[in-house]
Amino acid sequence: MICADARQLIGAGPCVTSGELTQHLKDCDACAEFQLEMVALEANIRRALEEPPGVARGRRRVAAQPRWALAASIVLAVMATLAVWALRTDNSLAHEVVAHVVAEPQSWAGTDAVSDAALGDVLRKSGLILDATPYSVVYARSCWFRGHYVPHLVVRTAHSLATVLILRNETVDKRQSFHEDGLSGVIVPSAHGSIAVLAASSAQLDDLAERMRLAVRSQNVAK
Amino acid sequence: MRNYPSEVPVSSIGVSTPGAAADMRITRLFESMRPDLLRFALWLTRDRALAEDVVQESLLRAWRSREALKDPACSRAWLLTIVRREHARLYERKRLELVSLNDALAHEGGALLSRDDSDVHALRSAILQLPIEYREPLIMQVLGGFSVDEIARELSLSVSAVLTRLFRARNKLRTLYGLTPAPDGSGTEAPS
Repeated sequence: MICADARQLIGAGPCVTSGELTQHLKDCDACAEFQLEMVALEANIRRALEEPPGVARGRRRVAAQPRWALAASIVLAVMATLAVWALRTDNSLAHEVVAHVVAEPQSWAGTDAVSDAALGDVLRKSGLILDATPYSVVYARSCWFRGHYVPHLVVRTAHSLATVLILRNETVDKRQSFHEDGLSGVIVPSAHGSIAVLAASSAQLDDLAERMRLAVRSQNVAK
Repeated sequence: MRNYPSEVPVSSIGVSTPGAAADMRITRLFESMRPDLLRFALWLTRDRALAEDVVQESLLRAWRSREALKDPACSRAWLLTIVRREHARLYERKRLELVSLNDALAHEGGALLSRDDSDVHALRSAILQLPIEYREPLIMQVLGGFSVDEIARELSLSVSAVLTRLFRARNKLRTLYGLTPAPDGSGTEAPS
């Protein structure tokens, strides 16, 4: 792969990786630096797009018939309020997970697999062990989240990078999916709290979450 | 005179019929997506009134086609696709009276954009000024979570053309940060 191709791929999707690109980044410092810059820019683009643009009301309207909203609005408003109230806590967890991940854009710039020792240290801090997974862990850090240290991992799948937060102190009743800041994610219950998995695309999130759920064990019960 | 359209789910006006519960679930699902759809439409249209109309028409269209939504888990991408098509349809139906964004920005000053920290503020302004052919795939990818393949299908472009547009969009935004744009060796876009 030549640098021009590598930069076009990075520019088209800073968080997407392929084997060929990864190999090129290992060999080319300039392109690796370019990717770091683009990953940082990407985090800002996501922040910028998260809020709707505060554009002014236009000078003309097209077909401004409030046909959908009128009749259903009262019932829906009540239901929406109840739903928001009922889901308040879970949504808040998803929101905080996304905010944490977006605030750590350097996590998506890893290309080399983290050493077993470094990964073990991060997991040990939370009393966890990770059995072998089919994924290469390219980022591992112990992060302060909701009053506890949690393993913040980035794994490389066949097509892209995905973030995994192992939330030992957060429980969820059932699988939750969310989409925020351009990131798709799921939070699934596990034997050790819950696991959040986020990626740029929702494809294969559930499969990844399930594999991680099966791979995570507590140090206390490790043989 | 009807005070509600026939398309509105009967359950939402208090009548219980077979299928009403399913209709209510769909209604609730659609309404829960409305903020996301409106944000997506705003970034496409750059005009609040137009964005609201696009979302309104899209929800109506989605409601009429609700049987086509087999998996509620796919509803977000499905609705975003309808919004994008509705937006495109506007331009097919009639030539809209366009207001130059530069003129509007100059006329309205900073009031057109929400207050943010300066970097993000500048970036929002720059994204708004990207030509639609670059802004649209970028928004679809970042906000909509669409893959390059999905964007290519939806925009009737080749995958390489989508890659080029996404690259050029981000390359233009790089300059905001004082970074040197990467050389654009992608040439013309390949046809779909």
